[in-house]
Amino acid sequence: MAIPDPIVEGLASGWHHIDGSHLDAPTTLEADVVIVGSGAGGGVAAEILTQAGLSVIIIEAGPLKSSESFNMEERRAYPNLYQQAASMKTKDKAIGIFQGRAVGGSTTINWTTSIRTPDEALRFWGAEKSVSGLTSDILAPWFERMERRLNITEWSIEPNNNNLALKRGCEALGWQHTVIKRNVAGCWNTGYCGMGCPVNAKQSMLVTTIPAALSQGATLVSRVKVTKIEHHKQQVFALKAQVLNDSLMPTGVEVLFKAKHYILSAGAIHTPTLMLRSKLPDPYQLIGKRTFLHPTLLSGAVFNDAINGHSGAPQSIYSDQFVWPNGASGELGYKLEVPPIHPVLIASKTLGYGQSHAQLMAQFNQLQVTIALVRDGYHNDSQGGQVQLTDNGFNLDYPLNDVFWGAARRAFASMAELQFAAGAKQVLPMSEGVGPLSSWAEAKQAIAEMTLAPLKTIVASAHVMGGCPMGEDPAMAMVNSQGQSHYFDNLSVMDGSIFPTSLGANPQLSIYAITAKNATALAQRLTSAQ
Amino acid sequence: MKRRTFLATALVGTGALALGVTLYRPPYVRVNKALDRHHRLLFSLLLPVVLDGALPQTESLRIAAQNRTLDAISDTMVLLPLDAQAELEQLLNLLESRLGMLLLTGSMTPLLLRSPAQLIAMLENWRNSYLDMMVIAYQGLRELIMASYYACPEHWPRLHYQKPALFG
Repeated sequence: MAIPDPIVEGLASGWHHIDGSHLDAPTTLEADVVIVGSGAGGGVAAEILTQAGLSVIIIEAGPLKSSESFNMEERRAYPNLYQQAASMKTKDKAIGIFQGRAVGGSTTINWTTSIRTPDEALRFWGAEKSVSGLTSDILAPWFERMERRLNITEWSIEPNNNNLALKRGCEALGWQHTVIKRNVAGCWNTGYCGMGCPVNAKQSMLVTTIPAALSQGATLVSRVKVTKIEHHKQQVFALKAQVLNDSLMPTGVEVLFKAKHYILSAGAIHTPTLMLRSKLPDPYQLIGKRTFLHPTLLSGAVFNDAINGHSGAPQSIYSDQFVWPNGASGELGYKLEVPPIHPVLIASKTLGYGQSHAQLMAQFNQLQVTIALVRDGYHNDSQGGQVQLTDNGFNLDYPLNDVFWGAARRAFASMAELQFAAGAKQVLPMSEGVGPLSSWAEAKQAIAEMTLAPLKTIVASAHVMGGCPMGEDPAMAMVNSQGQSHYFDNLSVMDGSIFPTSLGANPQLSIYAITAKNATALAQRLTSAQ
Repeated sequence: MKRRTFLATALVGTGALALGVTLYRPPYVRVNKALDRHHRLLFSLLLPVVLDGALPQTESLRIAAQNRTLDAISDTMVLLPLDAQAELEQLLNLLESRLGMLLLTGSMTPLLLRSPAQLIAMLENWRNSYLDMMVIAYQGLRELIMASYYACPEHWPRLHYQKPALFG
């Protein structure tokens, strides 16, 4: 039985889609609103603005790929759907970053975990970062709206064994844990969310808001990369873009976009990169700074019983036991989750080679992996990274300092304690120089003494945030609390780059709800001006 | 010292292919292209060491797996962004030049003439080096080879893994 593909059907019904790779002459496109990026921010904004009766163009640098091409293989998914074929790294190569690059952005490849913005984050932003009007109460209706829109509900099926180990460890130790809410409808529980949902159950932007916008007349332009914001005084007057070929290399053909209002939703690396490249006014030198990653540590564990971490909803349990240990600005906390376990992901994010690595891979189905996502951006010594321009693109310089390594050591200990409590026979902290550990007592001592350092300790990120912070004080914010530029009347930012810190939670639902609020306000403003 | 500067300096005045191709070439390696653009020969020397224990025991299967992985490495390399491609190319060229070998490994002995134990010693030196550049070289090659090998469904039976058949 073939799975219906809503993108194929929509295109056949006459959606306006321009595949940039087919453009061979300079083109100018015009609309009321032009949105750069089609992920969590761009997708939600596109639907709301189109519903308000505005003409909308969505520009995406990545390709339009849909379920008919999602074959559950990493070798296809990573080059098709991820930034830099999933090999993106920070400047010193110490942190690997997973970020989407396709229509739907990271929502096409994320693991569906949907968590409201923690109250601690919102209170910190209000108290320290001049953000106004963003409290849990004010945001509640926007969370509810997006939860309804994307069918975000608690996962009611038994967690897979990878998540179950996290749950059992928490239960044995009396640690907090929560069943995750997921944006899925009719999920087949296969476990391949990270390679594009093959059955269109994941309610990503690719199958929800973008089709809705296209059905109401919006235009989608894929494989076109915006390279410059043309501006004069308080006005943006055009976006210059380059056409990309099948391999996403520039063909030399240019496209010009003109609109009444422009929205940047290119994500927390590419929005700041575009702003830097366009030399937008930035008197306080904020653009690209304070970029946050939830830098993540990994702990492997070998169990006697099968874990089969490739199978079943990838994330269904988390633990917030250690996220806010001493208030927001105290020592860095970390959230405990698990990742899906697929061959390339695990082979590359483990240590060593030859016989020792082959033996670990031979235990692929007995391998449980727990991850600790460090909450960065609150402590004085946690300033995140900085996006910098290079000749061919950008670098993200993210130094890992002592405050981070302190959290990393605590996180490795918590993960080992949890994994042994869940029944692991061996635990492997993913850092060079530590062998397999056979008991919590042994692990406790080894982790206290282990060397932690960039390039020695595996650090990964799937959550890029910040670099274009919101707030009312221009000395610390590029956009106001509604995402409106402090410097341009017709420019907004709607993506994870506006977060003044990391969230301490997986970001998609925060981006959905805050964008829904800000795009609704913008739609009212633009339609009342017409 | 910045890595790029180091690499660029190391490359000055070197051009000789130091793999030892003229001395010895394994018969199973398909190197047909006039300009071995994707460094197939170099990788064919590293694969048996990096994938020791993972590659099939049977010779014909092992050779097929190695060639499949070499193809996958070529495919992966062209997908990297330009900056990463340039960095990797610098490293690979360095490994193919005699002076580069001396700088990276302390010896001018071509890779083809090194025993598996010597190649392991070389990788371990990089892996544990106090120079970030060496560690990055080790990790870059390791990740490229691992990702390329385990990307191939033909190599999954040893993991007792297969993707689900949804549409059977």
